[in-house]
Amino acid sequence: MADQSNFDFLFKVVLIGDSGVGKSNLLSRFTRNEFNLESKSTIGVEFATRSLAIDGKTVKAQIWDTAGQERYRAITSAYYRGAVGALLVYDISKHATYTNVTRWLKELRDHADSNIVIMLVGNKSDLKHLRAVPTDEAKSFAAENGLSFIETSALDASNVESAFQTILTDIYRIVSSKSLEQSSDPIKPSTGDSILVTPSVDPQANQGGKCC
Amino acid sequence: MSARPPPARPHIGLNPSNRFGGYSSSDWAEDDAWDSGSDEEASGSGWRTTHSRSTSSTAPKPVPKPQQNSSSSTLASSYTHVNAPSPSSYPPRPEQPPTKQGWTIITNAREDGRDEGKQIEAAQYIDHDGDLIVGDLDPDEPVVKGHNNTQVAKPGRRQCVVREDVDDIVQDPLHVIRRIPSESDPQNDGLEVSEKVLRERSIRLNRRQRFLECITNEDVSMAQLRKLSWNGVPDDLRSVAWPLLLGYLPLPAHLRISTLARKRSEYLSLVELAFARNRDALDQQIWHQIEIDVPRTRPGVPLWMHASTQKSLERILYVWAIRHPASGYVQGINDLVTPFYQVFLSAFIDSDPEEFNPALLPTEVLNAVEADSFWCLSRLLDGIQDNYIAGQPGIHRSVKRMTELVARIDPSLSAHLEAENVEFMQFAFRWMNCLLMREISVKNTIRMWDTYLAEGPDAFSQFHLYVCSAFLVQWSKKLKEMDFQGIIMFLQSLPTQNWTDYEIELLLSEAFVHYSTWHNAQSHFGK
Repeated sequence: MADQSNFDFLFKVVLIGDSGVGKSNLLSRFTRNEFNLESKSTIGVEFATRSLAIDGKTVKAQIWDTAGQERYRAITSAYYRGAVGALLVYDISKHATYTNVTRWLKELRDHADSNIVIMLVGNKSDLKHLRAVPTDEAKSFAAENGLSFIETSALDASNVESAFQTILTDIYRIVSSKSLEQSSDPIKPSTGDSILVTPSVDPQANQGGKCC
Repeated sequence: MSARPPPARPHIGLNPSNRFGGYSSSDWAEDDAWDSGSDEEASGSGWRTTHSRSTSSTAPKPVPKPQQNSSSSTLASSYTHVNAPSPSSYPPRPEQPPTKQGWTIITNAREDGRDEGKQIEAAQYIDHDGDLIVGDLDPDEPVVKGHNNTQVAKPGRRQCVVREDVDDIVQDPLHVIRRIPSESDPQNDGLEVSEKVLRERSIRLNRRQRFLECITNEDVSMAQLRKLSWNGVPDDLRSVAWPLLLGYLPLPAHLRISTLARKRSEYLSLVELAFARNRDALDQQIWHQIEIDVPRTRPGVPLWMHASTQKSLERILYVWAIRHPASGYVQGINDLVTPFYQVFLSAFIDSDPEEFNPALLPTEVLNAVEADSFWCLSRLLDGIQDNYIAGQPGIHRSVKRMTELVARIDPSLSAHLEAENVEFMQFAFRWMNCLLMREISVKNTIRMWDTYLAEGPDAFSQFHLYVCSAFLVQWSKKLKEMDFQGIIMFLQSLPTQNWTDYEIELLLSEAFVHYSTWHNAQSHFGK
């Protein structure tokens, strides 16, 4: 259990989006710098973590990768609870996966905390010749809906680091500003707030299940 | 909330002589297995047996024993049924002549590592061509020698080897056993063989002999077949034993050829109907998901990367899905096709099916493999359909039961998982959804299914729980030293890569002990 105290913040993030858009490869690229052309479909949920340094603090991201198929929605939506961030992924070469973004946003509204930080991610940007979703269109859609936006390629690794870095920094800013407001008691996570923040001084609170 | 008691065990209560000895042709003539309803009726009668569930755990590898005339209970009804039109509304299809063009029979001394487990202990042998072979050469497997119309491959190279009698096997699966070289032993060429290896070989030959006697009976005894199969089916007999166990092949020998021909042409009709119009007429949601998943099924394995295998898989999944609209296609079902397909394909070749190039086989044979896989998959899924319908209640029930079971079997592990906030759903969902196929190899799965099929139609939902529990408990010591993250990561990629039949059999034995202890103790659960 040595891994318990070497971070300052633990953020739970979910990866959602249609089947086959590359969620699992985004995650493996970010956490293990691996891309697997021969990956199997995700069944239910899969889990991985990585720590980043933000503002001199160690932020550990606990990321739940979910299965895209509709039938799994009942099980995967349970993982939205307690998540402070969501990467909503579509495939820039498959327009239908972009169209479905609206449905995924509704999923989040129904099941996740209202102040969850959402980033729209257009993956497979290496497939330039097959592009079906114009960058500008997605960008303005994201702006209208208050989401941050980025295009990535898990295959050639472009922007993957940046995507996670951005969303985790956004979450960090929100959380740390809230911590400042409630700095009277730094040990407890901000009460009455559904955003999870688990300061390392409280080892019990650091356990992963706390946010599940 | 208290646990809902699972449905009564369907195969408690058996009179083997009545149940399995008395099929008349009309019993099977009515079994069109057109929809899951008729499949179930057939299995309702075909699957009954009983095992004396001794709680004694002294025997290291318990063997279920048939028991006559114990209480009879009925098969729990499966979840949904499709009302499909009668098969007679489709025109009968004429048998397609085998396409002889475009394929070659290549023969070669077999040297793939197919084995019956424990091969690690076996010595290394040098074969006739001087190739080093690691592991156990299976003495049961025939060596195909040169033949007219065959092209003998260069010695020493791994080759796809098509059996010369594919046309006979496709007509009558039992043909696979009609060409066993008696007592031929490719290893007896002057090499010293340890006593242990000889003993194991003799045990295996013995077991094989009993299997042969069982399945060559004019009327196969289901009770006997199950008893034998529980401990593993010999590789080359599986393509006959599995369909018999599943009730897809009739037990009386004289009905088999006609039944098989009928079922295969029925499947072809189903395919024709499902794909009668253009792509736009397909159920788009189902088709879309299948299209995404087929290339992701056993990725990297040559057999499954071949276009023709992928097309077969697409058809199997799509036809099953549209016939079962309550579930449709659910990710993971694709995995469940692969053991069947590989087992049936194995009957026609003398090499590793995973390395096989299906283009070497005539269309007729591939169609038969596809149809048999489809019907057997359907039978399997009939027992676990509520794993795949909306909300996946079958899986939720199973995971809940498993949580309760592990709390009984290994209270300290259970307490540790709880203390670390690990929920069983976080890892066991996949174990139920894919029947552990994401955790163990296909080869392991095939061995495991020998026992599941011997256990009966609900083994894939009931016995499987005990297997999953035993599987988890097996890592207990390690897990108890890990925290939340360590546990989840470990359970996501378990170190089973080197598992052989030996580990699987150990797991099944442990599961059986738990099963004997807890299965009839429902009142202990769900307080």
